[in-house]
Amino acid sequence: MTLRNFLLYFPVSFLCLLLLTGETACTKSTAPPPNTASLQLSFSNLVNGQPMVLRTTNYVNAAGETFNITLFKYYVSNFSLTTTSGQEVVLTPEYFLVNEESDSTKVITLQKLPSGTYRSITFLLGVDSARNNSGAQTGALDPVNGMFWTWNSGYVMAKLEGTSPLSTMPANLIEFHIGGFKGANNALRMVQLSFPSPVALGQNGHAAFKISADAYTWFDQPNRISFQQLASCTSPGAQAAAIADNYKSMFTIKAD
Amino acid sequence: MKAFYFITLFCLVLILAASEACGRKDSVTPGNEDGPPEPYNLELPPGIPAPAYDFSKNPLTKQGIALGRHLFYDPKLSRDSSISCGFCHQQFAAFGHYDHALAHGIEGRIGIRTVPTLFNLIWQKEFMWDGGVNNLEIQPLTPITDANEMGEDLVRLIQRLQGDAKYRKMFKAAFGSEEVTSQRLFRALTQFMAIMVSFQSKYDSVMRKAPGVAFTAEEQAGYTIFQQKCAACHKEPFFTDFTYRNNGLPYLPALNDVGRMKITNSTGDYLKFKVPSLRNVLKSSPYMHDGRYFDIYQVFALYDHGIAQSGTLDPLVKNGIRLPEQEQRALYMFLNTLTDPGFINNQSLSEILIE
Repeated sequence: MTLRNFLLYFPVSFLCLLLLTGETACTKSTAPPPNTASLQLSFSNLVNGQPMVLRTTNYVNAAGETFNITLFKYYVSNFSLTTTSGQEVVLTPEYFLVNEESDSTKVITLQKLPSGTYRSITFLLGVDSARNNSGAQTGALDPVNGMFWTWNSGYVMAKLEGTSPLSTMPANLIEFHIGGFKGANNALRMVQLSFPSPVALGQNGHAAFKISADAYTWFDQPNRISFQQLASCTSPGAQAAAIADNYKSMFTIKAD
Repeated sequence: MKAFYFITLFCLVLILAASEACGRKDSVTPGNEDGPPEPYNLELPPGIPAPAYDFSKNPLTKQGIALGRHLFYDPKLSRDSSISCGFCHQQFAAFGHYDHALAHGIEGRIGIRTVPTLFNLIWQKEFMWDGGVNNLEIQPLTPITDANEMGEDLVRLIQRLQGDAKYRKMFKAAFGSEEVTSQRLFRALTQFMAIMVSFQSKYDSVMRKAPGVAFTAEEQAGYTIFQQKCAACHKEPFFTDFTYRNNGLPYLPALNDVGRMKITNSTGDYLKFKVPSLRNVLKSSPYMHDGRYFDIYQVFALYDHGIAQSGTLDPLVKNGIRLPEQEQRALYMFLNTLTDPGFINNQSLSEILIE
């Protein structure tokens, strides 16, 4: 190889090497930090501030009617966190079915969270529209959980069943299967809960919170429900949307 | 020098052969139970739009289809082991139900609608007479759990299948492990339903200009009448436009079926039902969502002079559709060309005996 050729080829090769390894003044040489923080949410279900006890305890709704609860389940999904500077960090969509009957469903751990300082958490009460159209699904979204309508495809976002002497249904049944994801009577509701104080999550950071869900809200406001007039709502429509407007305020959060 | 090249070439060939053989050791031999399922290629007819069903998460395999077929014909999917899918969906009736107006299920219970035919389902986006089901995968959930049909509880069904050694083996062959889930159950049934494709009627052969096939004069006359008077709703090539319409069928208080309004809550959908495909129509009586007409001539009579007026009546039938006797006959001859004998007699879709 002649000197002339060497002087030509050496810088070219050096540049190629630089490009290949990405080592120039313009490129950073450090990879972004992995998402390793986690957040634990422990759900507990209440009725008018008192712990919910299925079947054996009687409660009184806002209309003054006695009732008990035999079943209480709801979907929470599609979580996001908002930083103290107002930036929303959308997490990988996950779906959880909280079931009063099953304690293991009441503790949710959100993992692989990006580091940051967060002031609130937001989630969907229900299953988003796309998932209502996606055919046979698994896990919390499996129809074996009894939360999917067969005759009119779609998820029951939240379900409450029980009895009340004021109900004119057979066996005094009260049944509220709230669903519907289309149009004006869409029963999906976003819930935003502010943390008691900003939560700083660093690498491998962890925080835990207690979230309470108060079933009393279902029948309270803005749409007062009397079981004597309405003891059953099991299809999408205006009544379901009205109850969703009530129960969207059923959650409160505090530090664990 | 030449010898050097030959040796190099020979060594290269050896290395290539060795790596090929290594690769082949892991490949599947047909019928190997422990291997992955074998892909199944569904041949779609030329000139037909792409299916609406998304196969990417549920690709067709021979083992998936075999499992789906087994499930389809197994009465043990019903609460008292008396009703299978195939019990109502009979192949000789294009997977509709012959001679019963209304679907009947376990314990002699009867529903309020007729059994729909099953074919070309992968092109549909909505299912049932009122379009209440939005994905082919979860369509089976409805008849399996409906109290008047198979009446079974999904949890109990999954447990039953999980406890059956033969099903465990079939689930493993189709999906890779013995775990029975509702998703796998529905996807297997979907695979079997997916291959129910009907586009090989005489009409199709004529449209594709197959050599030696032509409409008779009467069939041709019938086709012309069809295009003028029926094709607006029963649109080619599916012979339905997949919409929901009130075609003037008189309301029956005893059944009190409001149709699509039940799904959309809209009074504008009162008494509207899905336009059914007319493929294989002469094989799949009785007709209409409640099976009230056993003879196709009764359908002609409805359109000719039997239209019931109502607020949601379709504008296309507002004044009826005049069908003089000779036109009815020609129309009948044309409708006969929509029968697909290959589909009706396809052995791959036939009932299998479940022990």
